[in-house]
Amino acid sequence: MRKEEVFQLVVDAVREVLPELQDHAFEESDTLADLGANSMDRAEIITTVLEGMDLDIPLVETFGPRDLGELAQHLSEASTTGGRVA
Amino acid sequence: MTGLGVTTAVGRGKADFARALYDGSHRFAVMERPGRQHDTRFVGAEIPGQVTPGRLTARELRTSSFTARVALTTLEEAWEEARLDEVDGERVGLVVGGSNLGQRELVLAHERHRDRPAFLRPGYGLSFLDSDLCGQCTAAFGIRGLAHTVGGASASGQLAIIEAAEAVAAGRVDVCVALGALMDLSYWECLGLRTMGAMVPDRCADAPELACRPFDQGHQGFVFGEACAALVIERRGERRGLEDYGTLSGWSVRLDGNRGPDPSEDGESGAIRGALDRAGLEADQIDYVNPHGTASPVGDRTEAAALRACGLTGAAVNATKSVTGHGLSAAGAVEAVATLLQMRRGRLHPTRNLRDPVDGGLRWVGDGGLETEVRHAMSLSAGFGGINTALCVSASGSGSVR
Repeated sequence: MRKEEVFQLVVDAVREVLPELQDHAFEESDTLADLGANSMDRAEIITTVLEGMDLDIPLVETFGPRDLGELAQHLSEASTTGGRVA
Repeated sequence: MTGLGVTTAVGRGKADFARALYDGSHRFAVMERPGRQHDTRFVGAEIPGQVTPGRLTARELRTSSFTARVALTTLEEAWEEARLDEVDGERVGLVVGGSNLGQRELVLAHERHRDRPAFLRPGYGLSFLDSDLCGQCTAAFGIRGLAHTVGGASASGQLAIIEAAEAVAAGRVDVCVALGALMDLSYWECLGLRTMGAMVPDRCADAPELACRPFDQGHQGFVFGEACAALVIERRGERRGLEDYGTLSGWSVRLDGNRGPDPSEDGESGAIRGALDRAGLEADQIDYVNPHGTASPVGDRTEAAALRACGLTGAAVNATKSVTGHGLSAAGAVEAVATLLQMRRGRLHPTRNLRDPVDGGLRWVGDGGLETEVRHAMSLSAGFGGINTALCVSASGSGSVR
């Protein structure tokens, strides 16, 4: 899945889990922490994105990226290389 | 008791609930909440509309179960009335009555993720625990003294009141809230309860308004009713200028040493006598009994026999479940609230569908209700697994011992 598509899934998931951000203009440089996500929110967001991508990888493999852009890039690469695509 | 909250299918909040009790209204129908039916026509009373607690953000609301939404809303009513924001959170406790509270939403989650378990939402790891309710309530209200759940099947709500009273009496906290939590049944629990003969048969769906008939010869089992209630309990004399609904003058828990669902006259009588003893009251001083009264044929007859054996033949008796349905884990708390509201008003609510009582020797309150002063009342609960509980509640200034 292309990075741009993954980024949109990430934004959709953040808006679902953090409903107060409905009108936020998301940037690739936004971080989940700055957006107010706690550890449970983060896990919910990532799982929601992984389901949207049909990508079954351990949550621990999503811990490296520092912002939403890097997260989208990382998951995009995982979907074509590392991750098992269901 | 300085604050009450209640949410039921017939009424949300004390005023609405009391109106429904006195009107003898009902919301019994074939249930419609997702996860409640599976080629079935289970009858029950469901809370209409959305329940949205005031103290939660949109984010918190999204991950709150139905049980939690109802609990937080109900707790808020009791909390505000007792002005508990004025009390140091370290000295406030919470006892949640009930276990296996969120079965319906767990079933919905299982069905949603059956073919995609890898994507089960992480929140499931929190929300499958009943104690998640303690976490949510303590976070929303700043409760830091104690919080835990107690399970006693259909006696859970009353058991929570007893545990909260014990915590206050022992000085563990100054104020303790007892919450009878909503047990959110899925169709699986309904199937099990119906198959064992405890819940009314599906044919009752043809006339849901007649299905729930505690103590009537035509009773066929209990009818589920979504409900939740909260009671604020604090030491007498430390009521912070608040008006008191009544004093918990006695309580008792008795076990039958029996795993099954069968009630026991000895066990129920033992609980009644234990509560009277603790209150320093004689049976003939009890003006009103709010019984367990589920409309289970064997349960009703056993309870009527216990009331008689304990000499409670002079007390007026009605059945709150005839209006609300059976709240299971919540029932004991809902009925304690119903008892206190009726004591304050000096009026007992009618018992719906009580045409031909199973026992002619008790003072049933039928259609129309009854205007009467209640100085001392009892409320009774019983649960599967041989648990019997009883409370004595006395009006303020009634000369009760505690």
